[in-house]
Amino acid sequence: MFSELFLPVLMVIFMLVVGGYAVAVLDRLVASALGTPQAGGIWLAPMARGAWLLTQHANATEAPDWRAWRLAPALYLALAAGGLAVVPWSASLVATDLVTSVVLWGSVEALATVVIFLHGWSANSLLALIGGYRYVALGLSYILISMFVLIGVALPAESLQFTQVVASQEGLWNVIRQPLGLPLFLIVGLGMTFWGPLNLADSTDLAGGTASEISGPPRLVWDMARATMLVAFSGVAATAFLGGWLGPWLPGPLWMSLKMLAVLSVLLLLGRLLPRLAPERCVTLMWVVLLPLSFIDLVWAGIGALL
Amino acid sequence: MAVNWLHKLAARGSVPVFPVLGKQGDSALRHLALSPQIELVDSPRHASVLLVAGEVPADRFEPLRRVHDQLPYPFTTLWFRSEPWPHLERVARIDDLDDLPGALVMAHRELMEGRRGSAHRLLPDEPPNPWEGEGDFGQGGEGMMGGVPYGRPMAMNMEDDIRDGLTLDSLTFRLGPFFFAFPPGMAAEITLQGDLVQTWQTQLAPYPQPLDDVFFNARERPVPIAEVELARARHHLHRLFHALHLAGLENVSLRALRLAHGLSTSNTLEGLRRALSRSGFFRLTAGGGVLGPEQARMIGGPAARAAGLDDDLRAEDAGYRRLGFSPVCQTAGDTLARWRQLLDEIDQSLHLARLAERDRVHTERTGSVETPRGPWSARRPADASALFDELLPGLEWGDALAAVASLDVAGLTDQPVGTRPSGESRAVRGGTGNDV
Amino acid sequence: MELFALLIILIVALGAGLLLQWLPMRHQPRPNWSQRVPFLGGGTPDSHAWSRYHVRYYPMTLLLIAFEMEMMFMYPWAVVFVEKGMKAMMEMGMFLAILSVGIVYAWREGVFKWQ
Repeated sequence: MFSELFLPVLMVIFMLVVGGYAVAVLDRLVASALGTPQAGGIWLAPMARGAWLLTQHANATEAPDWRAWRLAPALYLALAAGGLAVVPWSASLVATDLVTSVVLWGSVEALATVVIFLHGWSANSLLALIGGYRYVALGLSYILISMFVLIGVALPAESLQFTQVVASQEGLWNVIRQPLGLPLFLIVGLGMTFWGPLNLADSTDLAGGTASEISGPPRLVWDMARATMLVAFSGVAATAFLGGWLGPWLPGPLWMSLKMLAVLSVLLLLGRLLPRLAPERCVTLMWVVLLPLSFIDLVWAGIGALL
Repeated sequence: MAVNWLHKLAARGSVPVFPVLGKQGDSALRHLALSPQIELVDSPRHASVLLVAGEVPADRFEPLRRVHDQLPYPFTTLWFRSEPWPHLERVARIDDLDDLPGALVMAHRELMEGRRGSAHRLLPDEPPNPWEGEGDFGQGGEGMMGGVPYGRPMAMNMEDDIRDGLTLDSLTFRLGPFFFAFPPGMAAEITLQGDLVQTWQTQLAPYPQPLDDVFFNARERPVPIAEVELARARHHLHRLFHALHLAGLENVSLRALRLAHGLSTSNTLEGLRRALSRSGFFRLTAGGGVLGPEQARMIGGPAARAAGLDDDLRAEDAGYRRLGFSPVCQTAGDTLARWRQLLDEIDQSLHLARLAERDRVHTERTGSVETPRGPWSARRPADASALFDELLPGLEWGDALAAVASLDVAGLTDQPVGTRPSGESRAVRGGTGNDV
Repeated sequence: MELFALLIILIVALGAGLLLQWLPMRHQPRPNWSQRVPFLGGGTPDSHAWSRYHVRYYPMTLLLIAFEMEMMFMYPWAVVFVEKGMKAMMEMGMFLAILSVGIVYAWREGVFKWQ
């Protein structure tokens, strides 16, 4: 029983630490490849930034909701950990091999909206508040798209368990079998971590939005939570569409890491290449274009599963 | 000790700097944007060094004190081309643009390693209103509104919402002179309902912006058209840099800035234009902010041409006519049209500069010149920030800020800047990631 | 057992997040009132930010609730889909079609234009 509890916790903590660092390094790599000047070593910079944040004093506003404000980054980190817990690294190497992991991931996505809104609201500062409320519109929109796409992935697997979803891709990966799935899911990923074009919560036109009033250790936890949520999302995307641990020659976990790195790179690239969407345009796009596309994806998946 | 090790590690990272722009401070901003060791941040909470770039006039001292106090400990300040306040301890003043990145890095390192103490607070440690209430949970006092709970009143609904008439609470606030999305020095009092702007009242006009001396010279005597047009393109590229940073396209904005730094007639806008349209800037970002004909005439310049008025003083100059100049126009008059107009004008300027350099053409008409800000014949283009009071109510927050970024409302200084500061004319390359 | 492990993971991560904030902050002095003013570029607010915020996307949330209920039914449906075959497809198709009428109606009513 000890190893059944202790090992999963260790696994997830390891993934949180390594994943967060990897995202920070990868983001700097992408930035310097695209032309933003980066100083110093790429490998040292995230550590230096983390050390600086630990030494800076945490900020306060005049009358925030203290508990919610300090809880929100930790809650977001916990959600990322929950997501990472269901990502399978091989047929037997999963932190928690839940029978209903798709449902768990859906609840992680839904709760992410709540947590991000809470972070913006609890600071009791105007720019943070606008960021939080603006994000909720996006948050409510991407949930449906994500769920239709994931249900489509679950159909051929006849199960809501991620290990079964990967097992069902032994013949053909879902990215080819259900071509609409991965692009739609990547957009959901950008929304969940409010990254790049969908950064309505922490945007530059709000001087940092929900993050405009935080400094020091809470800001470090918030940034880490965003990075680890990206990692968790890329794990789920690799599981659901890129065949998880399946692949010749290399061991399963290594394939999984490579696929996660690939998805991460695409997300980070998209984050830097696309401008921020106007909120109205974003919501209209999601409900009028992307949601019907996810319907089509579901129907396609259904027909494919029956044939 | 663990604390020292952490501080030493923190000293090696890039320096987060919050820039406070005084008069003609944006040259420092542009120089720092390309420095690899400096990270310009939008919120003072994210910074460890407060950079006061350019002279801040006295009516903006109180906002500067407020922003100064909003940086969390430990922090320090650095003053660039402006006199540091006497009661601050051990603050440096830098005048040379090339020394600025090094001085910022030095300040941050000294701060982290404990060789320099943190700056102190300037304003008194008092809540905004003394607590006057009776109840345990903030209620009480007299009358229906009671006391002022926890230092500030709660928001009350003031006006019907512009778009759908539902009256919920409005938030009124003053967005100050050091908000980076505004033109430098502009402050406005804004009422928002939700994220929709209900009223906008510009309280402090932006600083008069400096212009390249070639435009001043053009009013006196014939100048080479190549020089004028390159200066114009550079001005427009600087505005593009600012707007692209606001839109979240960091790398394209730096590309525009690099193009402006080393601008010559051999450059072309094609790469930048392609990068912009491929990123979806024109399809995905905000529209809105349509200028009416009266407003367009008031502001003049590229914004008016984007709204369909084809007034351009260059069309009356024989030198330009010889090069085949004719004004470019858009019809829509909204934010995206203004950006298209800007790109077209940069393109046109580069094309004209190329032809003019080859044929050595000079301007022929003196006494008036078409500046990038607007036409200057009898009167200098004046500040037009009152335009925002009519244009912005009814726009959503992001759209409103994009409209502010797309309009060049600051007036012009009455004298040329003089020679360009030493760092600007060098082409600054992006960092290769090498250590310092 | 796995759910219990998941719970432990969530609690540990939450605890780590809170600890990472609290440990460095233990010895930091309380910030001044002048630091606590919300950042508005140097300007001042008139009131607290908390207010009855005009959320313009409210009609969209009603639409979301309708679809959420459908999603709840789709979870078990996905597991038995292949067994039941075409019949399951038809049933879900009807459900989706009825709800799509809802989207089209909302679109025509301008829900997504945030009027």
